[in-house]
Amino acid sequence: MKKNYFLAKWLDGEITDETLKEHVSEEEIRAYKKIISATNQLEAPSYDAQETLEKIKKTHSKTAVKKLNYTNYFYRVAAVFAVLIASYYFISTKNTSYTTNLAEKITFELPDQSEVHLNADSKITFKAKNWENNRTLNLKGEAYFNVKKGAKFTVNSKLGSVQVLGTKFNVIERDQYFEVNCYEGLVSVTSKNETVKVPAGSSYKVLNDSSQFSNNTNETIPAWLQNSSSFKSMPYKYVLKELERQYNISIEYDVKYENNLFTGSFIHSDLELALQAISIPLNLKYEIISDKKVHLKLDEN
Amino acid sequence: MSHNTNEEYCNEKKFSEFFLDNSALLRNYMYYKCGNSELANDIVQDAFLKFWNNCKKVIPGKAKSFLFTIANNLFLNEYAKSKVALTFKSMPQKKYTHETPEFLLEEKEFGEKLQKALSNLTESQRTAFLMNRIDGKKYKEIAEILQISVKAVEKRIHNALLSLRKEIENI
Repeated sequence: MKKNYFLAKWLDGEITDETLKEHVSEEEIRAYKKIISATNQLEAPSYDAQETLEKIKKTHSKTAVKKLNYTNYFYRVAAVFAVLIASYYFISTKNTSYTTNLAEKITFELPDQSEVHLNADSKITFKAKNWENNRTLNLKGEAYFNVKKGAKFTVNSKLGSVQVLGTKFNVIERDQYFEVNCYEGLVSVTSKNETVKVPAGSSYKVLNDSSQFSNNTNETIPAWLQNSSSFKSMPYKYVLKELERQYNISIEYDVKYENNLFTGSFIHSDLELALQAISIPLNLKYEIISDKKVHLKLDEN
Repeated sequence: MSHNTNEEYCNEKKFSEFFLDNSALLRNYMYYKCGNSELANDIVQDAFLKFWNNCKKVIPGKAKSFLFTIANNLFLNEYAKSKVALTFKSMPQKKYTHETPEFLLEEKEFGEKLQKALSNLTESQRTAFLMNRIDGKKYKEIAEILQISVKAVEKRIHNALLSLRKEIENI
């Protein structure tokens, strides 16, 4: 038996009022007419298509350009393995250092042509003299390393230390959060009296005194090298701190959210999109107070 | 059998035309779904970006439905999963009229009942109904965009009207 959706057919003019009376009462027909008349007067909120189109064009061209530039960065390094225990020490005489400010990223080469990419608000210090035989540097913040084959290479930081013999890895040291991601080869990480081997495709993370090893991802380079930041179950305060760092702004929010776990990402090239990405999932609303200040509060709507 | 795909939508001019022709409709559709115009705007922007990034996959003649599919998936995967409480902020608003105060009051009350009843429809009933009433889309067009049959569109609209009347009478 074919179903007859007579109300829809009537609305569309396919059947007349007379025919409709065969299915419903006159009173009901009046009710339907009233509904239709009221609905006909409704409008959706206004929409600025041109503005959105401009935003899309801007984002689209940036992604395209970035993809192109990126291929120039990396050259392949043979991975060799090493195991070692390292301890923290400070290099004092004749140091070379590289520093990045907020919203700044740089790339530089060490004396042996190993590449270092430094994320915002970070600093690397090392002794250039005799580098080929003693490749040790000190890191504060976050950096990605592409190490040339050679003598053992050590990255020391306040929360832990990483040792390799030629590989690709990323180290993050921020507050009480330490993470090492290995992309090629194998690194050895020492932190809080334990030493862990971190092979390619895995990571070691220390957050507030508890450590976690995980087999990651299919990532071949960290997100920040492609101008976005990506997080998995990260306490919200670290997410916001990174956003502050990338855009050089300060964000005010209710401290009760600081330990909420956030999974997601934001781009580094559009503050509004970035703020949306981190506020919507927590049902927060952002308000840009000035070009240096943003407020986050509960979205009451 | 090979699809006759080409890269016409990769071209910026063509993409812009496509955007200007379809963004308002997509935005309204998303708005009818979630009742939140900011969220709807975001999804539209993301959906078009994704569409442009996947421009080589567009089959000529199916661009619109491809776009809507992307938008629906974004909505399901990203926004529904993030457990944002999609409280229905508001429904489309009534335009200004010139009637007497008493009539206006009665109209206002009816309007509120209608708003509430609209928000209580199922998502599929509401979107089909409003695309027809506010965006002026014929059943055949709605069917093509949402990739469902015309009969399915008729069913949604029929049930929408039925539910609206029943709910308004009971309030």
